[in-house]
Amino acid sequence: MKASVRSVNDVWIVDLQGRITIGQGDVVLREKVQDLLQMGCKKILLNLEKVSYMDSAGIGELVACYKRAKERGGTVKLLNPSGKVYDLLQLTKLEEVFETYRKEDEAVASFGG
Amino acid sequence: MTEATIELVIPSEVRYVDLVHGIAQCAAQTLGFEEDAALDLALAAREATINAIVHGHRRDPARKVQVRLRAAPGNGIRIEVCDEGPGFDPERAPDPRARENRLRDSGRGLLLMRAFVDEVRFERRREGGMRVVLLKKMPGRAAARKTEEKE
Repeated sequence: MKASVRSVNDVWIVDLQGRITIGQGDVVLREKVQDLLQMGCKKILLNLEKVSYMDSAGIGELVACYKRAKERGGTVKLLNPSGKVYDLLQLTKLEEVFETYRKEDEAVASFGG
Repeated sequence: MTEATIELVIPSEVRYVDLVHGIAQCAAQTLGFEEDAALDLALAAREATINAIVHGHRRDPARKVQVRLRAAPGNGIRIEVCDEGPGFDPERAPDPRARENRLRDSGRGLLLMRAFVDEVRFERRREGGMRVVLLKKMPGRAAARKTEEKE
């Protein structure tokens, strides 16, 4: 999985591409979010638009990122989960845990000033 | 097309999970499953394999996971994933959707398996370990197409 980071109005957007699965994507996700938290970034938006699917390990890592950010006073939100990824969030009821947005500008605005 | 059986014996290393996923997906597509249904089967096979490697064998590469895939045109695909681990009782696994469990890092594999195939069975093997059996029926359209081909 590929991951790149950009900043919009103090919100750190992680553009993910590929699949979040055991041993690969989950590790990439963990490292990217950990790097951001260590740099003191507290507003993190994971762009899932180009993530094709996740497995239980990938879903577990999403949850771990959410908890890690919360422990440091930060927030992780989700942008544009695609078909299978959205199905998985619904199935696991994590759509009730994560704030999820379809439009990037709305997601960025939701973090507030 | 006649029935095909594929058997794999893999070390308990997570890098082999993709191999099982790929074979399951490819077999389903060869049999005429739509892309989405083939991915569902592959995801269930992936979860059963992860379960065997991570929970059954604690990632000990010396311990082997056996995967047996049987593809029967017109009927569907049956996948068995066998481990040598201590086994578990699926009925006692906590529901990861329950409010108090939603923030757990693990425990979603069984839920995913059950969501993605038509039938999941957990059996204790006589020789020790667990056998997870996944059954994915031929979806309606693909099954109808096979019937037409026969006629």
